[in-house]
Amino acid sequence: MATRVLLHVGTPKTGTSYLQDVLFRNRRTLASAGILYPADRFDAHFLAALDLMRLPWGGLEAEAVGAWDALAEKVRKHHGTAIISHEILATASRAQAGRALKSLGHGDGTEVHVVLSVRDLVRQIPAEWQENVKHRQALSYGNFLDQIRKPERDTRIATWFWGVQELPDILNRWGHDLPPERIHLVTVPPRGGPKNLLWKRFSVAFGLDGLDLDLEAERANPSLGAPETALVRRINRAANRELNPGDYRPLVRELLAHQTLSARTGSPRLALPPDVHPWVSEVTSSWIAEIERRGYDVVGDLHDLVGAPPVTQYADPDNPSEKQVSAAALDAIKALLLESARLRHNEERLEHELLETQKALERAYLRPTYRWREKLVRRLQSGSYGRGLLKAYRRVRGRSSRAA
Amino acid sequence: MTEDGVHRAWGWVAHLQAGGTTPWRDWTGAGDPRGRILPGAQQLELLRRLNGAGPTSPELAARVLEASAPGRGRPDLELEGAVPPLEFGPRPVDPADLPDDELIRVATMLLAEDVHAAGLPETEHPPRKRWRRRKYRLEGDVVLTGPIRADLVRHGRPPGGRGATVLVLGTDLGTMYTHAWTARSLSAGAPSWREWLDPHVKRGTVPGRIDLVKVAKAWSDRVGKERVRIVLDPAEVPRIIGVRRPAPAAEPLSADATDLARRVGQALGLLAVPTERRALLRETLRPRLAALPGAPLVLPAEHLERVHERATHLRDALLRAGYPVHGDLDSLLPADRAGVPEPSDAGVLAHALRLLLEKKR
Repeated sequence: MATRVLLHVGTPKTGTSYLQDVLFRNRRTLASAGILYPADRFDAHFLAALDLMRLPWGGLEAEAVGAWDALAEKVRKHHGTAIISHEILATASRAQAGRALKSLGHGDGTEVHVVLSVRDLVRQIPAEWQENVKHRQALSYGNFLDQIRKPERDTRIATWFWGVQELPDILNRWGHDLPPERIHLVTVPPRGGPKNLLWKRFSVAFGLDGLDLDLEAERANPSLGAPETALVRRINRAANRELNPGDYRPLVRELLAHQTLSARTGSPRLALPPDVHPWVSEVTSSWIAEIERRGYDVVGDLHDLVGAPPVTQYADPDNPSEKQVSAAALDAIKALLLESARLRHNEERLEHELLETQKALERAYLRPTYRWREKLVRRLQSGSYGRGLLKAYRRVRGRSSRAA
Repeated sequence: MTEDGVHRAWGWVAHLQAGGTTPWRDWTGAGDPRGRILPGAQQLELLRRLNGAGPTSPELAARVLEASAPGRGRPDLELEGAVPPLEFGPRPVDPADLPDDELIRVATMLLAEDVHAAGLPETEHPPRKRWRRRKYRLEGDVVLTGPIRADLVRHGRPPGGRGATVLVLGTDLGTMYTHAWTARSLSAGAPSWREWLDPHVKRGTVPGRIDLVKVAKAWSDRVGKERVRIVLDPAEVPRIIGVRRPAPAAEPLSADATDLARRVGQALGLLAVPTERRALLRETLRPRLAALPGAPLVLPAEHLERVHERATHLRDALLRAGYPVHGDLDSLLPADRAGVPEPSDAGVLAHALRLLLEKKR
């Protein structure tokens, strides 16, 4: 039974990919300090979260069957501290959160802590829309903003957005029966602050100070600019029906969005429309007041949630500069050409290997003994007596194949 | 939460667990808390509907109250009146106002668990292959080919083999569209009927399996045109392959049963790997759905003209290709059939309740 479990349940776009990458690559170092990060693949906790929340994810859920119970078992077997981290856990229902906590030993002697990393809505709103676009959605930014501002929150977009972003509600669901000192909020510093400040805060929250961890990130979830996001949205509209989710992920999300378009850092950044700012300020203020009232442990500064003031030059991704979108599209075409060329070379190499294998097989077939045996089998198969003999021979030899 | 509201809510939970059917808005009793959290409005309303449809076992009632709806959608909601107006989180609701779709989400997860737990039926050992049999392959509309092939296999006539005649089965294009959607719903999964159908009709595309021209051409390239036949009258199949027994008729599911299969399939994808899911849907769930009453799915009236046009192309292309045809090529044109143009949530929910009670009653 683990003595202490640190359960990081979100929120998305708060440096979670970086944190999970560091934890995954440093599993051995952590283990030597008695800290378990139970993952045999980078996305192990993501799969476990999909399983816990019964969440379909473009076919990935097939790999997630039974993943939560397996993860929880590893945690229960560990003596010491265990860390679990995935941002989509933020959207778990009360019942799912209860099941998760119980499976990790809550109420049975294990000290479970819930960690929530949080970032201002001024950055989260455009980031969430962008994530939607990178997950095949084709809805406009304007439509997205309309949906999340509707008080009914009855659309899937709005349900998901508030499910992973409404901090007091997430903490209600996850922290329902935990004392406030076991709930830790890590605030993401404002843009332009010291580069490693967020890591320092994570390190404090997860008790990693003093460990010699390799902090060089291999994985991240980079952001796109306004024209690049507009381009991906157009690609979704054009290709969604024909492109399977299994192909979309490596080609559009990874190759185009993450590896190619995110490198275009000179384009206008996605931002919150200035006219939405007052509403966001009002929502944020109510959250800050509520969190202060509840008395959770805050690592960082709750007022980081206020966010930056409205931008002076707003780049509307629903009406982007066509010149900028074209430039992004050229980069995308180039990346796809290079990828096609790589795949062609791969195909040629494989064809060559197949041909060589076929030749080797033919050479084996051409041996006189093989031809004699083949001739004999053919002759035997042409008559009922011979077929009986062959059958008896195969039975004795213990082989089911009928091939000669 | 207000104390009175909470006690009223827990009283209602106990009432429902005891088989009660009083709607929340009419409930006035009270009770003590029976768990860590109040179950969600969706779960409570589903239990109330189950109680209304038949006696619900305590085990099933407990499962309903602990269930969470799979996938992205509204989270478990609070009961209106049990809690004060919330500053955060989704608004509390009167469960009677919830759309059927919300209840179906919870019900399909429970059904998927049932199907998964039931496992696959025991397979019969295939009989010895008949020594003298005409070799055949059945291609085309899977709803038509499936039962005939299964019957032939059961009687020692498996498909395939050297020199097999390829029979490409089809019927009117409108029905084949409904069959193609049914087949997808019972295998890899499909979007809703209209989300799937409308783009096909709009773009004039015909899914691979029911595009008889493409299927016939692919087999013709592989085995030669002389071994490919178009069969538009499935009753002809036994005669072509030399069997005296009549071909079993296809047993199409009702529109609502098909949609329920599709939704259970989505939830089952969270419990079983794709090959197992497909087998469970076809072999465990489908026979139960086939027993449910209901009108079959037909093409919506607004698509008839375009599908007629597409079917005419299909007919002419088959005529030009010159394959032997069994049946009337004009039978590819959409026919006026009785049925419903799309499944209804109310019907799907009624089927779901029936299956849940069938299992646990």
